[in-house]
Amino acid sequence: MIRLIANLGTATVLTLWLIVGVAGCNSSSQNSENGGDSDAPKIGVSLLTLKNPFFDVIGNNIASEAEKHGYQAIVQSAEEDIQIQGNHVKDFIVQGVSAIVLSPCESEAIGPIIKEANDAGIPVFTVDIPCRLPDVKIACQIASDNFQGGKEAAKAMIEALGEDGGKVGILHFVQAESCQLRVKGFREVIQQHNAAAAAKIEIVAELEGGGDRDRGNAAAQDLLQAHPDLAGIFCINDPSALGAYAALEKANLQDQVVLIGFDGMPEGKQAIKDGKIYADPVQFPDQMGVRIVDAIIKHSKGEELPAEILIPCELYRQEDAQNDPSLR
Amino acid sequence: MNLSTLFRYGTFVALVLLCILFSVLTYGRQFPDGASGATALARQITNQFEPDARILIAVPNNDTSIQFAESLTQNLTTAGFDVVANVKGEAADARKELLRLREAGEQLDVVAGNHTSANWLLFKDIRSDFPELGEVIVIEPASYNWPGFLTAANLRNITIQVSVLGILAVGMTFVIIAGGIDLSVGSLIALAAVVSTYLIREYLGAREAGVSQMFLAGAVGILACGIVGAFSGSMIIYCGVPPFIVTLSIMLTARGIAKIIANNDTIFELPDQFTWLGRGADLGGIPNTVVLMLLLYVVGHILMSKTLIGRYIYAVGDNKQAAWLSGVPVKSVLMFTYVCSGMLAGLGGVIMASDYQSGSSKYGETFELYVIAAVVIGGTSLSGGRGSIIGTLVGALIIQVIRNGMNLTGVDSNVQDVILGSVILIAVLLDKFKERRNV
Repeated sequence: MIRLIANLGTATVLTLWLIVGVAGCNSSSQNSENGGDSDAPKIGVSLLTLKNPFFDVIGNNIASEAEKHGYQAIVQSAEEDIQIQGNHVKDFIVQGVSAIVLSPCESEAIGPIIKEANDAGIPVFTVDIPCRLPDVKIACQIASDNFQGGKEAAKAMIEALGEDGGKVGILHFVQAESCQLRVKGFREVIQQHNAAAAAKIEIVAELEGGGDRDRGNAAAQDLLQAHPDLAGIFCINDPSALGAYAALEKANLQDQVVLIGFDGMPEGKQAIKDGKIYADPVQFPDQMGVRIVDAIIKHSKGEELPAEILIPCELYRQEDAQNDPSLR
Repeated sequence: MNLSTLFRYGTFVALVLLCILFSVLTYGRQFPDGASGATALARQITNQFEPDARILIAVPNNDTSIQFAESLTQNLTTAGFDVVANVKGEAADARKELLRLREAGEQLDVVAGNHTSANWLLFKDIRSDFPELGEVIVIEPASYNWPGFLTAANLRNITIQVSVLGILAVGMTFVIIAGGIDLSVGSLIALAAVVSTYLIREYLGAREAGVSQMFLAGAVGILACGIVGAFSGSMIIYCGVPPFIVTLSIMLTARGIAKIIANNDTIFELPDQFTWLGRGADLGGIPNTVVLMLLLYVVGHILMSKTLIGRYIYAVGDNKQAAWLSGVPVKSVLMFTYVCSGMLAGLGGVIMASDYQSGSSKYGETFELYVIAAVVIGGTSLSGGRGSIIGTLVGALIIQVIRNGMNLTGVDSNVQDVILGSVILIAVLLDKFKERRNV
């Protein structure tokens, strides 16, 4: 009998603790939303991961912009796990949200999940990562103009190498459609440049940089082994550019090789300010968040929406970094 | 009454309390839909408007809403109202209809819809955007208060969401009660998903594959995981490697193999019928995965409580030496648990592939931890010998209810991890507590 009471006691403690935990964070999140109306129409948002500041900014901007227009956004992180994302969508449908925003963990496996939302009559918007399956209905896809961003990267490379030209390498992340577009744009402008210029820029290698520091570092080391006279590296994102910078430093070649990154994440911008990276075509995740809510409103008004909204990238150089209040 | 039944009772109480907790937290306005919502709205309209009122009905394009619209149309026409148009679709479709009515110079008195469509911004601005239509009033069924957690749709949701976790937890319970551990199940999910979808894509006709071919592919995927389980088992039994190490290495190896087979890509060239297992609901509207899970729990429960092999599993977990001395075939029993765990993980992988109509080597990452957590929360002792299948089901439900409840109450995903992690810790602490009392 004592044991029964002990077990029931622990179960109660566990539950009470949960009540405090859940109710505590629930009320704090409501406070931070300036007393958001719980009856306000909801927007369900499940993003690839909130660990990456890029998606975090998207999520925050969706939430703040939604509130301005009388919506309440529920922003969740799918932790790059398709099952978690699938459960998010199921829970959104039960909650009767007015719209669902996804940046899919998998561009194919997300198909049946989106179909589920389609069947429930809830419009689905995708951000950054598209789903191009034929039989799913996407109200609107919003992303950076990666092709144009790649072109900007090439312009920065040409600007940095100037009259001399030289050998450049690319650190790719070939799985991602966005990165393929970036490299395509990069190559196109370099090609155009070479047609006219006296000193050509030669793309000597395209290596897999994994899109992260470790693999970017390893790939850059290989690149420097093969081409000690390298003049520049284009990295498809900031983490791989920073990995490449570590490799340059190790080989003491940081003054010889020009680095161009991509994204303009805080650490990338700091590296540009410190002169480690020459320039980044930056994306505007804040604008993406705002444009998504704008698209949701248009959709709810019954206005026509384009299938895809592309947000242009802009070059961000050292002088921009020096004037950037977000950097210390 | 022995201790394990008491403990099982304790977890069950925790589950009930959690349900009550989330019911309280999600208590709020609910919006009637379907036929009952339509009846209520028809009554509101009859009370509020003259029978010659001209009505537009607009709803989103889904089953419940269409039912709502059809029932409402019928109710209103019998009551003598003039339903001028019926829109099923998106706000854009409703706008087209409004434009058509304006072109035709028609007047409108009422727009009737369910909660979703009545809140389309199109209708909020209808008087300023379409003044030609007259003083239009937008109306929806009156709301009532009820916990959002405690709706049929959400409870159904939870049982669907828990099914893969629950199925894997059956095998894990066998393994843990027998004194082992299996860290490879998350990777086996990926392996089974990739093997079966790869077979369909490469050898069994891709999108044109027939039903029997899909069954074959699924069976091969499950069998492959069974073989991997047998391999783990033999390493543990015959080479004396600790289960933790063997299954840890299998966890890496199996996912690596899955990545190689899938070539780091998603395999999605599959027939539409492939979703039958993961998304179908054939038995009186109960989802197939839930039927399968319940069936496995019934079989598992009978196995553990009524059969010789069940007794053997407990005996081996309690004291391997003593079990061996009393003539229990220890090796076969251990082998049985690992093969079961492997095959059930494979089944989970096939279900997941079916659910998403694609196979990917990313499936099931860190899943093993939740499976182990479900088993432990369910009262099975990590040191073996004690536990029950039904307890595991309750444990899996607790995990899923917490996740679902936190999603519904909008808890931040980082906080969700902290809470789930703490729940697991508390469960293990309880286990230790109990062990000490037992000594």
